[in-house]
Amino acid sequence: MKSLFTFIRSYFAMIVVAATFFWSAALIVLYRTKEAPIGSITLRIGHWQLEASVRDALNVMAQRYRETHPNVYIVQDAIPESVYSQWISTQLMGGTSPDMVEVGHGSVPWNIWLSYYNRYFVPLSHEVNRPNPYNKGTDLERTPLRNTYKDGMRTSYIDEMQEYMSIPLSQFGVRIFYNRTLLRKLTGLDTAPTEYRAFLEVCKKIASQTNQFGKAYVPIAGSAYHFGMWDGMMFDPVTYGAVHKADFNRDGSVGNDELFVAVRTGLLNFHFPPFEAKFKMLREVTDYFQTGYTGLTRDEAVFLFAQQKAVFMTTGTWDARSLQKQAEGQFEVGVMDFPLPKRDDPYYGPIIEGPVYERLFGGFAFSIARTCKHPEIALDFLLFLAGQKQNEELNKIIGWIPCILGTQMDPMLKAFEPHLRGVYGAMNINLGGETMVKWSQLYPSYQVRQMSYDEMIAQFEPFYKEEGLKDFMEQQRDWRRGMQRNEQFLASIRARALAAKGDEATSAWVKYRALTKDRQIWAELGHSRQMKLIDQGPDTGAVGPYEYGPQVLAKIKERLKKEKKN
Amino acid sequence: MMTRKQVNPFTWLFVALLALIFPACSRKQAAETSANPISAAWTDYTLGEWDRAIAKFDAALTGAPKGSDDQLQALYGLATTWNLRRPGENSQKAIALYQQILDAAPKSDLAAWSLLGLARMKHLVPVGDEPNYDEVMKAYQEVIDRFPNHLAGKEAFIYLNSVLVSSLKERETRRALAMLEKFVQNESNEFVGPAYSLMAVCYTTLNMQDKRLWAEIQSLDKTEVDPTNPFTEFAWQYWNIATIAEFEVGDFNTARKYYNKLLKEYPNDMRDYAAEQALKRMDDLEAKIRREL
Repeated sequence: MKSLFTFIRSYFAMIVVAATFFWSAALIVLYRTKEAPIGSITLRIGHWQLEASVRDALNVMAQRYRETHPNVYIVQDAIPESVYSQWISTQLMGGTSPDMVEVGHGSVPWNIWLSYYNRYFVPLSHEVNRPNPYNKGTDLERTPLRNTYKDGMRTSYIDEMQEYMSIPLSQFGVRIFYNRTLLRKLTGLDTAPTEYRAFLEVCKKIASQTNQFGKAYVPIAGSAYHFGMWDGMMFDPVTYGAVHKADFNRDGSVGNDELFVAVRTGLLNFHFPPFEAKFKMLREVTDYFQTGYTGLTRDEAVFLFAQQKAVFMTTGTWDARSLQKQAEGQFEVGVMDFPLPKRDDPYYGPIIEGPVYERLFGGFAFSIARTCKHPEIALDFLLFLAGQKQNEELNKIIGWIPCILGTQMDPMLKAFEPHLRGVYGAMNINLGGETMVKWSQLYPSYQVRQMSYDEMIAQFEPFYKEEGLKDFMEQQRDWRRGMQRNEQFLASIRARALAAKGDEATSAWVKYRALTKDRQIWAELGHSRQMKLIDQGPDTGAVGPYEYGPQVLAKIKERLKKEKKN
Repeated sequence: MMTRKQVNPFTWLFVALLALIFPACSRKQAAETSANPISAAWTDYTLGEWDRAIAKFDAALTGAPKGSDDQLQALYGLATTWNLRRPGENSQKAIALYQQILDAAPKSDLAAWSLLGLARMKHLVPVGDEPNYDEVMKAYQEVIDRFPNHLAGKEAFIYLNSVLVSSLKERETRRALAMLEKFVQNESNEFVGPAYSLMAVCYTTLNMQDKRLWAEIQSLDKTEVDPTNPFTEFAWQYWNIATIAEFEVGDFNTARKYYNKLLKEYPNDMRDYAAEQALKRMDDLEAKIRREL
């Protein structure tokens, strides 16, 4: 007995460590057994969607999958967004990542994702041209997987690797959500107006009323996070008119370099009506945000909306179900498109050329880790989720938009149907460096009414013209850096082609030539054209990029004359 | 101070236990390994693992019989890695290695790519430096002369002409145009599509808009489609041809054809709205002129 006591006393620390280890190991075994019976196949799926509906939906779909694959258990690792980048990085590097990983989180820089795709995930290109077996019996039965997607599976294709790397499961969009109950109470309206002036009138009416505590209602719950959505979907597209003046290479958009050249050479200035209109609209709308919105975070705006102190709030489909749940039993949630001025609006009418264009984007995409012991089953499960019926069901439970063709969405999400025809922003002043620092000093002051647009521009425009040249020149040096990176990339493609045999070699060389043509031939020419534009300025006597010159008009007249004679 | 004799056997037992446990937790092999050492080295190159790539190419070089294909491949891999790795590039080593290939097998496939590699090194100078364009063009010309029927020679031809065309000067442009017109006569030449595109740039510089439109259409027709990349993008080419036809040539039939192709084949393209506006704009203009006639 004494010797046992002496032994414990001598090795107490080691005994505690060993006991803790074995206790932990036993618990892990116990938990894992609860998750899935011994002998079954367990696949882990890691994601950052903590919304209850996402976890519920994945559990339901895992259950459905098990009906035909009784030995397969899907276990979720739902990780908070704030730590996802650290978590996934350590898991991947340590070789302990889940079998299926949600990819593309914005907190991990793109170049890092790229290296992760390269090192830790299985390419899926060989699968995308085969029909999805879970589409059997549907109209997509014989359609290759990539063509079953609304966006052609574009988000899954990684240009730098020339491979498909993930299976996306949902589509996203941004709209304005509103508290229909409160709107009705404060304005008597059942639905929110989507005409711009009427929308502002409604906001004015809401702002003039107070709640039971004597506090004024906030028409729009805003924050720094939400502002970006208003800007992208409503304010920035007002500047589209600059395309007609400054799209020198006529590719359909105005690059930051083209805008700089246009402003520096005097072809455009910041009093160009579409530019002024953007900032006028920004002021008119954000005046109905709560005070100090630029310093507030997403959650603060959501609280304001959920506590029924604000009527409108913009957000994406990812928040739709959560907002619905928060509102349950308290108020009715409506979804509306961003308001647009009428064609005959006295100020905006001549400036706004059309509705806003939206790019389709798929998300909630999963890649398969190279460390997965059953990659074929992981792929099969992801294909199951991407099947037409299953994708509809998954997204119905979550409250998101399905990304597969021929699927139906929740009626509440109809307003998220993307606009595929429309205009987009053409005022990219971001040249980086000092210019951006100056802008980031002035712009918030305008946002919070500390300076007028004229005051802001009086300070910014001379700085942009003079100091912007340095930033522009620095940016110009990037074309050589870009060529260097492309050369590095093409060498690996060439190596693959050199090693390939037969048909594979033919295909590999076509790929090499196509990539060489796209990436290495035009950069120098583009640079020369831009430098010529900066040195000599645009031909101010000539017509704009989208106007007919006198010679062309004469030619058209001549042709029509001939046609008339015949 | 504790001597080795004083360490209790239980401590050794504990250490042994840990030694058994930790390997069980060891990192799983993340990257696939390849049986072919050259292929494995290129995999490391692709991953940006420069030191590992060099070590593997070095090992392959050491193990390869002198004058063998494996030796050339290892030399080429090493030269490319020393040339293109960032950071840590070593131009002198790269030049010496490329030269070794040229000396060892001057007519081989890899000699052609090595000579092109040397020419590219003259062209792709570090940021802040300006290439010596006379030297660059001379180097490309050497690849063309020594390997006229090799893909490397044709790639050098395209680069040489892109340098001339990028000058935006009439003399150089005419020189390039003469070479390009001859090149496209043989339609089986690789890079014939880009050659037509470069001709279109020449015609722009020389303000020959009708020919520019023709060259752009030829370039589109000769575009090589990468069979494994479903996103070969023609939207920009359709848009480009349509706008040249509309605004530079006044050929509304061609403009309509390509605006409509854009709308039909790329229903989600951001330029679709502008294409619809363009179709209406042309109709309106023709109607207006007809009224005036």
